[in-house]
Amino acid sequence: MGGSTATEGAGTVANGVPGRIAVGLWRCAVLTALTCLPVLVAGPVAWAGGSLAYSWSAGMTAALPLRVLAVVGETLLVLLWTGVALWTVHPFTSRPLAGAARRCAARWLGLELSVAYRRTRPVVRMATGFWWDGHEYHRSEREARRRAAVHARYHDPQLHWDGVWLLGAAVTVLPAAALPLLALLLGALLTAAHPWYGLLLVAAGAAAAPFGWRVLGPVGRRLLGPVASTRLGWRVAELEAIRADLTQTQAAELERIERGLHDGAQARLVALGMSMGAAEHLVDRDPAAAKRLLAEARSASAGALDELRALVRGINPPVLVERGLVDAVRALALDAAVEAEVVSRVPARPERPVEAALYFAVAELLTNAAKHARATRVLVELHYEGRTLTATVSDDGVGGAAASPGSGLSGLERRAAAFGGRLEVDSPVGGPTRITVAVPCELS
Amino acid sequence: MRIVVAEDLFLLRDGMVRLVEAFGHTVVAAVDDGPAALAALLEHRPDVAVVDVRLPPTFSDEGLQAALAARRAVPGLPVLILSQHVEQLYARELLADGHGGIGYQLKDRVLDAGQFMDAVQRVADGGTALDPTVVAKLLGRPLRADPLGALTERERSVLALMAEGLSNAAIAARLFLSEGSVGKYTTAIFGKLGLVGDEDTNRRVRAVLAYLDAGRAG
Repeated sequence: MGGSTATEGAGTVANGVPGRIAVGLWRCAVLTALTCLPVLVAGPVAWAGGSLAYSWSAGMTAALPLRVLAVVGETLLVLLWTGVALWTVHPFTSRPLAGAARRCAARWLGLELSVAYRRTRPVVRMATGFWWDGHEYHRSEREARRRAAVHARYHDPQLHWDGVWLLGAAVTVLPAAALPLLALLLGALLTAAHPWYGLLLVAAGAAAAPFGWRVLGPVGRRLLGPVASTRLGWRVAELEAIRADLTQTQAAELERIERGLHDGAQARLVALGMSMGAAEHLVDRDPAAAKRLLAEARSASAGALDELRALVRGINPPVLVERGLVDAVRALALDAAVEAEVVSRVPARPERPVEAALYFAVAELLTNAAKHARATRVLVELHYEGRTLTATVSDDGVGGAAASPGSGLSGLERRAAAFGGRLEVDSPVGGPTRITVAVPCELS
Repeated sequence: MRIVVAEDLFLLRDGMVRLVEAFGHTVVAAVDDGPAALAALLEHRPDVAVVDVRLPPTFSDEGLQAALAARRAVPGLPVLILSQHVEQLYARELLADGHGGIGYQLKDRVLDAGQFMDAVQRVADGGTALDPTVVAKLLGRPLRADPLGALTERERSVLALMAEGLSNAAIAARLFLSEGSVGKYTTAIFGKLGLVGDEDTNRRVRAVLAYLDAGRAG
C-alpha cells in the first residue's frame, strides 16, 4: 500500500503522498457522510427496539420451544420497526444522497451516470369541474397540483432504485470509506496510552485513505445508474428517431423512383407513340420520312429500356438478387472507377434487407473512394464473425473523411443504425481511409 | 440450324421461336425453366441455344448455371445468353473455359432481328458475340498490370469489335479499313498478347480472355 498508484479520472489534483492522503481522507469522509444514513437510522431503532422487545422474554421460564418462538417473534418485530424507519426516511433522503454520490463519482472518477426522474404531470380540468392529476380527481387545482407533484416524487422507480443504492452502499461503500477514518481516530486516541499501537493505527489509516473511497467506482456503476425502464425509454426515443429517418429516406426514395419513371421512361414511351402515330400517317405519302420516324421510335424504345434498367439497378441490383452479396460486390468492384479488390469470408447468404444495406453501403464507399478520396487502389473486405457481418472499404486516398451531419457518411451511419449496426470511420487527413460498416445478423 | 430456346416469359419465348423460324431455322425445344433447359441442351445437343439468365424455379441465375453445366458436359456447346442486364462477372464465367461458341447479349438486341440473328449465327459458328455494353465497360476500365498497354488505339478498337464477335470483314466495314489491314492489326494484337495460332476463332476468344484477365489482375 502507499505505492505509486497512478491517479486516474477527473479532478484528481493533489501531488505527492501527503496530498493524496489528504484528498483520500476528505473523500472517505464525504462518502461516509453520504452513505451512513441507513446505519444512523437503523442502528438506534434496532437497538432501542431490541431492548424494548427482548425485555418481554427476558427471564421467561417457559419451555424451550416457547422461548425460541418468543425470541423469533421479537426479532421479526425489531426487523419490522427498522424497515418502517428506513422506509419513512427513504422518500426524503434517497434522492439527494444518491444525487450527491453521483456528482462525486463524476468529479472523482469521471463516471457519468445520467438518470431521469419522473416529471410532474400537468393537471387537467374535467368537464365536471374537478381537477384530474393523472390518478385522482380533486376539488381544487392547487390540491391536484400538490398531489401530482407528490405522486411523481414518491412513485418514481428511480427514487426507489436510489433507496437500493443507499442500502447497498451502507454495507459496501460505508465500511471501506469509514475504516481509514476510524483507524485514524482510534489511533489518535490511543497514542496517549500506547504510543506504538496508536502510531501504527494512524499510519494504517493514512495509508488506506487514498484507496478507501475508490469502492465508489464498482458499486456506483451497478447501483447509481438509471433504472431499466429509463434505459428502455431512451432506447425508445432512439428508435423513434431512427424510424423517422427511415420513413423520410423511404419517402425520398419513392419520390426518386416516381420521378425516374415519370420524366424518363414514361416520357420516352409517349414520344414513341407519337412518332409511330406520325409514321402511320406518313407511310403512304412519304415512306422515307415514315422510315426515319420509325427508326427514331426504335431508338426511343431503347432509351426507355436503358432508363428502366438503370432504375431497377438503383432499387434492387440484379446481380444482388441473382447471386447475393459477395458476387454483387465483386461486380461492383469490376465496374468501379478505381482498382478494387474483394476479399470475402462470408459462409452463407444473409437476409435480403441486410444484404441490400451492405451492398449499397459498399457502392457508396467505392464511389467516395474514387471521387472524394482520389484513391487509386481500394480493398473491400466482407467478413462474418460473432454474428456480425462487416464490410470494410480501405483506400489509399487523401483521407479526412468524417460522418459529419448531412454528409453521405452520416446517411450510411443512420441506415446502418436502422439494422442495429454501426459505421466506423478511420480517416486521418492525408489518408489512408478505412471505413467499416457492421450489421448484426444471423447466418446459418 | 437446330436451336433450343430457354425463356420463361411466354411472349418473348414465342416471339423468339417465330423469329428464328422466320429465318429458316428449326426450334427443337422451347423450355421455360433451368432444369428443363439443361436437360434439353444435353438431349438435343443443338447447333445453338438461346438461354435467358434468370429462369424459374429460383429466378436467380438458373439459365447461366444450366449453360455452364451443359458446356462442362459438352465442351464448346454454343450458347447465346440473353439478359435484362449485362455483367462483366458473368461474361468472365462464360468465357473462362477458353472455348468459343459463347454469346452474352442484352435482351434488347432482339429488337433488331437482323443483328440478333447475326449474333446467333456467329455463336453457332464457334465465335463470340459479346454485347457492346460489356465490351464498352471492359475498354472503359483503366488497366494497370496489362499486356494490353502495348496496344495502340487502333488495335484496341479492333480488339473491341473482335470481342463483340465480328469477323475481319465486318470489322473492316465498321472501321472503314481494308480487310487486309484488319488482318494486320489482328496479327499484331495476337503477337503482342503472345497468342500463337492454331485456329483463328480460338485465338479470338483467347484475345478477349486475355483482356478479361488483365482486368482481373487489377
